[in-house]
Amino acid sequence: MWVEKYRPKRVSEMVGNEEARMAIGLWLKEWKPGKKAMLLVGPPGTGKTTLVTLLAKESGMNMIDLNASDVRTKDKLEKRIGEATKTLGLFGERSLIFLDEVDGLLGRSDYGGVEFIKDAVKETQNPLIMAANDQDADEIRKLGSSCITVRFKPPPPREVEMYLRKIAEGEGLAVPNDTFQGYVVRAGGDLRHAINLMQSGGGSGEAAFKDVSSSVSQGLNAFFEAADPASALAGLRSVSLPPLEKVREIHTCVVKSKLAPEKLAAALEVISRADVIMGEIGATREWRLLRYLDSMLSQELFPIIKGENVRYVSEDLPFPVLLRIWNDSKKIRELSVRYASRASTSGASARTQDLPYIFALCASKDFRRRLEQTLDLDETYDKFLAKEAGR
Amino acid sequence: MRILIGGWFTLPRLGREDFMLLMKQGVTYDKAMGFKMDAGTDLESAVRTIRSAVGEDIELTVRCFVCGKESCEGCYYSKVCDRRKVSSMCLCADHSPEKGIFDLYVKTLSETVVS
Repeated sequence: MWVEKYRPKRVSEMVGNEEARMAIGLWLKEWKPGKKAMLLVGPPGTGKTTLVTLLAKESGMNMIDLNASDVRTKDKLEKRIGEATKTLGLFGERSLIFLDEVDGLLGRSDYGGVEFIKDAVKETQNPLIMAANDQDADEIRKLGSSCITVRFKPPPPREVEMYLRKIAEGEGLAVPNDTFQGYVVRAGGDLRHAINLMQSGGGSGEAAFKDVSSSVSQGLNAFFEAADPASALAGLRSVSLPPLEKVREIHTCVVKSKLAPEKLAAALEVISRADVIMGEIGATREWRLLRYLDSMLSQELFPIIKGENVRYVSEDLPFPVLLRIWNDSKKIRELSVRYASRASTSGASARTQDLPYIFALCASKDFRRRLEQTLDLDETYDKFLAKEAGR
Repeated sequence: MRILIGGWFTLPRLGREDFMLLMKQGVTYDKAMGFKMDAGTDLESAVRTIRSAVGEDIELTVRCFVCGKESCEGCYYSKVCDRRKVSSMCLCADHSPEKGIFDLYVKTLSETVVS
């Protein structure tokens, strides 16, 4: 996979977040006991973990790495990294302590994890870097004063194109200008997706410009009709859909096929397991494990449906309608979480009891504006709230 | 209103509440220079606050990482690039990707970052 082959080997070879990379590099260079910790905040896939790993490697430091969502209590944190924060190496060398996913540190209740980190920041003999996906999480706000917060974002499209060109050069591909731009636009600026698109199309314009729905049907049919698990895996990897949507599409195709009951049961069992695994990945935030989902489906599902004439069929509802439904549900979920935290109620109560009234009040533009400011909602909510008010 | 991320800009006199909100959102203020948004700013919230305070749309632009020049002018991606959601520096027309500037980009960074 080009994504792995061209993974940056130095901090300077990464793209995007230049100011953040420079700030963290300087912080580490000047670090001494008593200085604040570093908190990297940004969505998954923006290079936080890669940056810390490369920084440790380049500065010759041993990295002590812990996923904070696995270790939530003060006692467990103390046991895992307590000693590391207080001691130096045998010859006085420093280690870099990295706590990933600190927004998953505490879950619903406080078990002393934040206090442990605040104390560790004051006392540590080694630099401490933390990473979080959600800048609005309460745990992150509590850590605010002990840390320097640096935001991570996806790189701008022009820089994505620059990286694609570097890969094309490395692979000896002659790719036209507009094809590079096509990859970047179709990938929505997502570097990993753009690299996969370029690899799947071998640098031809086809993958950059063909429409998404036909690529989904072709990819899934290549999976269903493959001769062996390796070809099935290649077919599945060419489907440029997020994992959850990919599994949904496969589920629809399997359910609508004419599989014998026992085969159908076995296939649904695998799909159900894939769904449970995705749920687990979401809960533990181990997003990197998503890369094994295609392998799992091609090793476990493909042998069951091989030669059974399963074909791609689209959902009964047109995709734009489904997309609207998913987007609206996502907005309602997010809104209820924010409202619940503000109104000290549960997300479920907010959704079922309070939001219907809130939506009714949203007929007033002034109310909408105040609500958006209070709950820190982006402008896409304005249209959504106005629409909900009109229902 | 056009704001260059990483550059100073001025705003009409703000109310105390809006000013405090901008500071909380990571906007820098200097009495002589004005306001500045950078990589540490919560751009989405700050743009919303400024838009609501000044009552006009805000267009963000970014600087070229290699030379510091404003880089959004004439960019092919300007219609699909949401400057609030991508990192705060980019590449200008003089250092555009088709000119094979990856090595220069790496050099610019490695001169500054710990190695």
